[in-house]
Amino acid sequence: MRKYLLAAGVLCALGTNAALAHITLETQEAAVGSTYKAVLRVPHGCEGKATTAVRVQIPEGVISVKPMPKPGWTLQTKKGKYEKSYQLYGETLTAGVKEVDWSGGNLPDEFYDEFVFRASLAADLPAGQMLYFPVVQECGDATDRWIEIPAAGQDEDALETPAPGIKLLPKK
Amino acid sequence: MNAAQASSTIRMHTGPLTWLVAALMAMAVLAVPGRAFAHAALVATDPADGAVLTQSPARFSLTFSEPVSPLVLTLVRPDGSQLALTSFRLNDQTVEIDNPETLRSGTHVLSWRVVSVDGHPVGGSALFSVGAPSAAPVAGEAVDWTLRAAIWAARLFLYAGLFLGVGGAFALAWLAGDRRRGQRFVAAALLFGLVGAPLSLGLQGLDGLGAPLARFATPAVWKTALETSYVWTVLIGLIALGLALVSLAGPPGLRKLSAGVALLCVGGALAASGHASAAEPQWLTRPLVFLHGTAIAFWAGSLAPLGLALRREPAEAKAFLRRFSRAILPVVILLAASGIVLAIIQVQQPAALIDTSYGRLLLLKLALLLFLFTLAAVNRWTLTAPAEAGDTEVQRRLARSIRIEVVIVLAIFGVAAGWRFTPPPRALAIAAAQPVSIHIHALKAMADLSITPGHAGEVAASMMIMTGDFGPLDAKAVTLVLSKPDSGIEPIKRPATKPGDGTWRVDNLVIPLPGRWNARLDILVSDFEVVKIEAPIEIRAQ
Repeated sequence: MRKYLLAAGVLCALGTNAALAHITLETQEAAVGSTYKAVLRVPHGCEGKATTAVRVQIPEGVISVKPMPKPGWTLQTKKGKYEKSYQLYGETLTAGVKEVDWSGGNLPDEFYDEFVFRASLAADLPAGQMLYFPVVQECGDATDRWIEIPAAGQDEDALETPAPGIKLLPKK
Repeated sequence: MNAAQASSTIRMHTGPLTWLVAALMAMAVLAVPGRAFAHAALVATDPADGAVLTQSPARFSLTFSEPVSPLVLTLVRPDGSQLALTSFRLNDQTVEIDNPETLRSGTHVLSWRVVSVDGHPVGGSALFSVGAPSAAPVAGEAVDWTLRAAIWAARLFLYAGLFLGVGGAFALAWLAGDRRRGQRFVAAALLFGLVGAPLSLGLQGLDGLGAPLARFATPAVWKTALETSYVWTVLIGLIALGLALVSLAGPPGLRKLSAGVALLCVGGALAASGHASAAEPQWLTRPLVFLHGTAIAFWAGSLAPLGLALRREPAEAKAFLRRFSRAILPVVILLAASGIVLAIIQVQQPAALIDTSYGRLLLLKLALLLFLFTLAAVNRWTLTAPAEAGDTEVQRRLARSIRIEVVIVLAIFGVAAGWRFTPPPRALAIAAAQPVSIHIHALKAMADLSITPGHAGEVAASMMIMTGDFGPLDAKAVTLVLSKPDSGIEPIKRPATKPGDGTWRVDNLVIPLPGRWNARLDILVSDFEVVKIEAPIEIRAQ
């Protein structure tokens, strides 16, 4: 029994390690209709090179995005129209941030850093499903794209470069 | 005996026979091969291609776009052994095939070849597994030895008719003066040719379809044969044989003319098809084959009438011998020169003489030729002069030597007929360089991928990327990933470059192993969207 537990523990640790190699979100669950603080964890550069830019695509239904500035990085957002309009605190939102870019920085491969933004999750997002935030990590001339979204029925672990995502919980 | 009777028939009923030959030739010319356009397409198979079944199926079925009739149905077992499926029923557009045995677990291939209503044969195969998939079986080269022997024999008959028959008729008309010794032999050879020519055409059709000898009379077999270039060899060959018969039995005024044209037709028949004529450069190979064939017919055809004349009526044969020995030297030079150039084109590298079965047959032929040339040289330079002078002992020796020459010539024909089954090194090299191509179709994107050459080793990959509905897809980047999970080799991942002609390329790619690989294309549609499509691709060993 102890052996079995030990083996399971080793497997868990290995599994976590593998996941740590990817860019992930710190909080992996959030209720629809709530405010979500997204913390993108960047554990390493691209094949040993220092990270110079992190760009994240904001999926439909994630509104009122406000990224947190970072010393040493240039923060930019790309705005665009939403596919539909959203109600937030009595206001109607039809457009907003679609992409957040932190660029011009220098995060060596051996260091770790986090990139933060805050957003509202629209109340009509489908609870119980996953919501993905594709991320492009640039390291000078090299690029890692954490943009793969599993197809229906596909195991997320089978993807080489999965997009970070969260599980949508029912509205509280 | 038959041959002797036939030749006397020729002599007795000259007129009607000439007309018959003319009519046959006209028919042969009119039966120009037609081309088929529409053909049946496979709509569904049961088991479906790629299916994994829990237990052995009781029957298979193939559904086509139109009614078909099966020609060959084979099941390849996981170990590569083959099982002929002979019990089937036609149900409208579906062929229902009984499975005669309980299949063991592993991957099987259901291979089919059918003929659609228009007579056009189509073939293909479906892969399915029982229990769990195994490595796709590689069907061992199932050689139908009966069919091969028949093809070889028919070929030999045709060669005998063209070289000994037509060549003999030429020798009788042009060299023998008014002597007709060997006429029966020549007529018999012509009849062999007349039998061998159509047989060999039908067998060509059987071979093209991979069908067994039992289906010889099937219309599809003949239709297939008529679509090959070999039909021209047979047609021109039949014309040559017919003209030679006219020369033997027709009006004396036509003897020399028809024999001359017949001899040229022999060269033409050989140049019309075959490995050597198909080789590049065509402007060189076809004339060379023509010269080679004509020269063989002249030399080989003269031997029997000359030998028989020397033995039976030595005194009168002297003029024949003189004319032959005067002409033979340039003919043999022509024969050897054209043969050497063709051999160089076909074999390309000396090592191929030993490495390939084509090369080994060539060596065997060369050994026989060496023997033949030695005999011929002895005849020409030591025996001919005293024989012409009337030395009867020498004449008898010359006749015996010529008999041996005829036997060697027949052996050489046998070897040459064996080339039918051995692609020349030149063709092997071309085949090895052929690319292997697949089409990958998914909802969001599709691609045509071809790997050149299509065998293991250093290759280049070329990709054409389109959207799922055939629209243009301007991808930001394309990555080719080749993997072979069963081999323990890590996936080979290479970014593709854009040479500017609308395709994507990966150069300097090395595929370490032959077999079934999985080809995946990672297509970056936009900054944040990647589409991955994949399909298996079969890489040849060589």
